[in-house]
Amino acid sequence: MIVAEAKPLDEIKRLVADAEKILVVGCGTCVTVCFAGGAREAAVTASMLRMAGRLEGIERQVTDVTVQRQCDWEYVDPIADQVAAVDLVLSLGCGVGVQALVERFPDAWVVPGLNTKFMGVTLEQGVWAERCAGCGDCLLGLTGGICPIARCSKQLLNGPCGGSIDGHCEISAETPCAWQLIYDRLAGKGKLDALLEVQPPKDWRPARHGGPRQIVRDDLRLNEAEVGQPAEQEA
Amino acid sequence: MTDQPTLQIVAFCCHYCAYAAADLAGGLRLQYPPSVKVIEVPCTGKVDVLHLLRAFEHGADGVIAAG
Repeated sequence: MIVAEAKPLDEIKRLVADAEKILVVGCGTCVTVCFAGGAREAAVTASMLRMAGRLEGIERQVTDVTVQRQCDWEYVDPIADQVAAVDLVLSLGCGVGVQALVERFPDAWVVPGLNTKFMGVTLEQGVWAERCAGCGDCLLGLTGGICPIARCSKQLLNGPCGGSIDGHCEISAETPCAWQLIYDRLAGKGKLDALLEVQPPKDWRPARHGGPRQIVRDDLRLNEAEVGQPAEQEA
Repeated sequence: MTDQPTLQIVAFCCHYCAYAAADLAGGLRLQYPPSVKVIEVPCTGKVDVLHLLRAFEHGADGVIAAG
């Protein structure tokens, strides 16, 4: 999932400073799971902004709503009227959600309430860790299912480096060495031979280095006759 | 009594302990300030941060979750 965390309240207050009517929009998917931008966080943020306004002598109207996913039109369209009725939308979605609201509601002024961090897993309650860098050319099949792009500080394809100390990365004793994990994993599976093959430099074009990415699936796209068909006709 | 303004306190009390204690206090005719507003909840585990914030938004000076 996408993992995010709330921006500091002072920063949010600066972002919404000029607005009198604010709609806080939560997202019911990834950021709900990581307790950053779900319905509860949206309600808490709205309450904090109302109280912060009163402390500053500003009587703001702050309401909140949470959609199942901010990154899909069919989920954000139902809040169009609420968006149109406010001066500012504070999105508690990830960066995708913020931009989806901007694209869908171009007349609205949308600001982010979260800092989007990474794609990762929940290690334990309250602890999340990065697991995928979205490099666009997955090599987990070569490394026993442990990603050196997301988890090695140097993104080495032929590790470990000399900074691997007792199974940890030289940047921090808290950070496991990805290549130590890969070695242990392959050794446990009797597949250490896989490490004898030297990996060539990675082609980074499928990653962000090739510019913004897009996937087009012609087998899934609707044809012109299907686009714009009323939903009730499909039922 | 002093001239200090009365502090408004909202008390979320568990049905099974703190609320029963408040009930008993009433039965014993023990006094507590009328500015303490008791709200009975099935369990203080049900008290959410939103309840606390709502109380503060509506002017409470303090909130007690007793259970």
